[in-house]
Amino acid sequence: MVRIKHRYLLINILYPDPKSTSGRPATKPGDEVPYTVQFRRPSPDRMDGGVLTRLIRDGVAELFGDYGSGKVAGSLQVKYFSQATSTAIVRVSRDHYRLVWAALTFATRLPNPVGQPCVIQVVRVSGTIRKSEEEAIRRARLSIRQAEAAAKSSNAATAGLAAATPQLLSTEDDDVDMINGIEDPDDPRDIEEDLDDEG
Amino acid sequence: MTPQPSAPGPPRPLKRKDAPSSSNTAGSTSHNKRRKTQVALESSGPTKRKDALSFSATTKNARQDKRRQTTKDARAISSQASSKAFKNGELDVDKFVKAREYEIKALEQGMARAKKALAERAFQQVPKELRRRTASHNVKRVPKRLQKRAAREVCIPVPSKRNYYMNSAEGNRPTSVKSRKPRVKKNALKDPPPAPAKFRKRQIGKSWLPTHLYHAKRAHMTSPKEPLWRYAVPLTPTMKSYRPTHRASGDRGAVAWDMSYMATVSLAGTEQSLQGLLRALGIGASPETKQLWGTRGQRCSSGTRVWEGWLYCRDSFPLQAIAPATVIWCAENEPMSVLGAVAEEKANVQRKTVRKLLIRVHPSAFHQLWDEVLRLAKVQKPQVMVEDLRFEIGSIEITGPASTEALLGALWPSTSTSGRDWPQGSVEATWSSLAEITNPAALPENVLFGFDIVDPRLHHPPHTIAIPQSTQESALLSTLSKWPCDQTQTSPKLFDRNARLKAARALPSQKAINRRKSFAVPGTYPEPKPSDAQIPILLYATRNLQSRNGGQSRAQGTWNLLLPWKTVLPVWYSIMYYPLSTGGQPRFGGLREKRQIIFEAGVPWFPGDFPGTAAGYAWEVREREKRKEDWAKRPRGKRIEWSSVDLGNGKKGEIGDGWACDWERLLTGMAPPTTGKSTEAAGDPSSKSGSVSLPPKPCHITSAAASSLLSGSSPLHNIDLSTALATVTLDLLVRGVPQTCARIYRLPSASAIDSAAISLRNSWLALVPTPEFRRRGREQKQPFPSILPKDAPPHVVHRQLAQSLLKPPQAGEDEYPVCPGEENLIGFVTTGNFNLGEGKGTGIGCILLERVLERVREGGNEGMKGRLCVVRNAGQSVGRLARWDIAG
Repeated sequence: MVRIKHRYLLINILYPDPKSTSGRPATKPGDEVPYTVQFRRPSPDRMDGGVLTRLIRDGVAELFGDYGSGKVAGSLQVKYFSQATSTAIVRVSRDHYRLVWAALTFATRLPNPVGQPCVIQVVRVSGTIRKSEEEAIRRARLSIRQAEAAAKSSNAATAGLAAATPQLLSTEDDDVDMINGIEDPDDPRDIEEDLDDEG
Repeated sequence: MTPQPSAPGPPRPLKRKDAPSSSNTAGSTSHNKRRKTQVALESSGPTKRKDALSFSATTKNARQDKRRQTTKDARAISSQASSKAFKNGELDVDKFVKAREYEIKALEQGMARAKKALAERAFQQVPKELRRRTASHNVKRVPKRLQKRAAREVCIPVPSKRNYYMNSAEGNRPTSVKSRKPRVKKNALKDPPPAPAKFRKRQIGKSWLPTHLYHAKRAHMTSPKEPLWRYAVPLTPTMKSYRPTHRASGDRGAVAWDMSYMATVSLAGTEQSLQGLLRALGIGASPETKQLWGTRGQRCSSGTRVWEGWLYCRDSFPLQAIAPATVIWCAENEPMSVLGAVAEEKANVQRKTVRKLLIRVHPSAFHQLWDEVLRLAKVQKPQVMVEDLRFEIGSIEITGPASTEALLGALWPSTSTSGRDWPQGSVEATWSSLAEITNPAALPENVLFGFDIVDPRLHHPPHTIAIPQSTQESALLSTLSKWPCDQTQTSPKLFDRNARLKAARALPSQKAINRRKSFAVPGTYPEPKPSDAQIPILLYATRNLQSRNGGQSRAQGTWNLLLPWKTVLPVWYSIMYYPLSTGGQPRFGGLREKRQIIFEAGVPWFPGDFPGTAAGYAWEVREREKRKEDWAKRPRGKRIEWSSVDLGNGKKGEIGDGWACDWERLLTGMAPPTTGKSTEAAGDPSSKSGSVSLPPKPCHITSAAASSLLSGSSPLHNIDLSTALATVTLDLLVRGVPQTCARIYRLPSASAIDSAAISLRNSWLALVPTPEFRRRGREQKQPFPSILPKDAPPHVVHRQLAQSLLKPPQAGEDEYPVCPGEENLIGFVTTGNFNLGEGKGTGIGCILLERVLERVREGGNEGMKGRLCVVRNAGQSVGRLARWDIAG
């Protein structure tokens, strides 16, 4: 029996415009929110998996026309979307994941009911949902650590929070390369290895 | 603090194109319900439209939908809405972290759930080629590692104690539920403990020793169909062990046995009744054991020494011996100093108080002794209570130079109630100070310890104990000479039934022990707790008193450890894995090793070397059958043809059965009743007619009685000696190795009328090596090479010629004397082998006392001559000159 092969794209949605987003920094004076926290904002309430699907479908149709949307339509599915962390996992067939990737990369604005400027990062492409979930967990851990480190350095008062979640901080240093808070795109070799594994 | 985000709930399906965003936070249960009703509606549609469709098809569709729905639910990952995660949309490090934590948890749960939902049934995990269609529902048919899961899948509840505890709330664990204390079975035999269901079938008609699993992996056991004494007994280790056992028992190391098959009988009653019972069993009847009731025996009856000796049927001393036994009195709690009290008062108290004692006896003689004891106990006034402790008290025996050390490593006295060290002179302190002892025989004779130990699993793997340097030797010597335990020994708890039961029940599970060990500081043992189980033990050292002359200094004593049946295994493991200070670990032995060591010490083994007892005779019959089978199995050309064995003087044919120690033949005389016999029988036909078919059974006469009979100082002249057998050790004076079943002959009488007999006697006597020869031994043997070179100088040739003339004739030469006739047969060798301790062949046999009595007496002062005998192996014609001595 032939297995239907898919690719799972792990996506982060970033909201570059601070004014129009729902998450704004706490207004209390002296309570500086670190940059890492500000960088990864939660999605607005109306944003959900359906909106994301529409975004992708429209983007593919715009970029690749009927051909592209026809190719992608059968397999496209949003497997996971979390508003609070703006993370999503999107499934596409293996042959056409590049079309979706391109559509995501070219997206600058969420579709209409939301209508907000955004940047979508594809941080991981994997052959099984499990691997993308693991990557999501890893990244969540990492960002927790970064946020706490930043909070600790900026404000000694918030240092107590670090003690509250020690079990989540993995001891091994699986840091993603960071330049000014923006992750490097995955090493292309990584993706290839991944594909080899699943292929 | 900011409000906590809710923990990830059950899965919330994500495919909801039409769902409003507010449903993000809706409870999943309502969602699922809605979906289910939807599914039901959808599936109801086609049924209405297509009535022609069979009912089964629709139900199949519904089932598929349901299955699809469950997989979908299982695969959904819950997520958190931002309005819930961030109240008022405010960004905050704390909430940011919480939101990530939620996500991590949700993803992990999602993965776990998806994996579980995806999983197949357990039997489907079996590789394709091994899968079986039939009985795939059968839990037992899937591989072991999957059986648990398969059981869960087929929903067979697995009731276990653990589950019960796990399900009950943490607070109200039913720790207070006590299992029923088994009723004391007074004066009744005990049934073996019920085996675990898994092993029950294998223990029908026999019982396993507590260490059965250990031994079954490492030793040849008795075959399942033929247990020994109703136990599965280890016979010999699978590893080669003849020489290693000899070394471990005498030179370096230790050998241990699980002797739990030894039977224990407990007696309880007033001291008067107990003494009466023991006297009736023949204790203290002979002059040697008389002192048991005197001042020397006071130590035994006060419970600081054990008594070892023979027990007899009721009032039948010195005949009808049952078995050698050990009697252990329970010490009384009041110290010995009370002895100074007024005698009358003391006697009064003694008359009232109930005392206890244990009798340990070999299982082959247990039933005989039990009947006898039971009968005697009922006669006593007041009656004695008899209890069968066979499966309640187990025992371990250990011998060898390192035995004390190994035991010290395994038996840690439990901490005293005050929590401090044991005071100087207490039993526990004395026991702990014995590390230097390399021979248990160095202790005072038959010394007894009774104390409690801690669970040895708490200090498992044992470490080598620190052995004090020789500077403290004087302390040890003074301990040995004073022996403070005589004063400090209190009543050992092993005699107390409740303590035994408690010890067995309080043993924690291996899991609990492991947990405690893992909490301990690495490299140390867990801290002792006051709630730890205390295992009551009795420990006594015995020495082989009748060891072979000359070997006395080498003779190793033996430690005997008595402990509750269920605690034998942990102690056994602790002993077996103890790293000896001299390297290696203690060895374990089987029955063969036991017999080997005891044989090397020149001590007879019960029951095999006592065919005069009922147990010994049964053993002989059993062995006879086995040897006969072995013989019959061999092809005709390769087995000994007994009828053609040349016995010399033209006589042919083995005496009696070649595979047997043929006591019947020895007692009845020549095989076909000769004329003399028949006339005798004819003289009194009425009395004989009934007993013709039954050959007379031999009866055993103990060493003490036998030697007193031989020396002529015995008051026992009125007893019937016609069937009395005495156990002897045989020292071969020349070459040769006696084997089991070898025939023992006396030399022909010096006062015989027949000249041929006289000459035969003289030619045998000529073979006796001169003392000089014996002393110088080996180097004298071959002064010259047996074949000289052709150019040897004449004086060398002459000397060799002279020597060869003087040399006694060798076996196989014409001058070598033939065996004496059957009228001179006196007995058989019951155990014979090459003795590694002596470096030559020795044997242990039994002889008919009547036939040697006159020879020994006529031998008179010469001593040696009266005890010379000829030993001829069964099936061979060559006899060997030997000397016998009363043993054991």
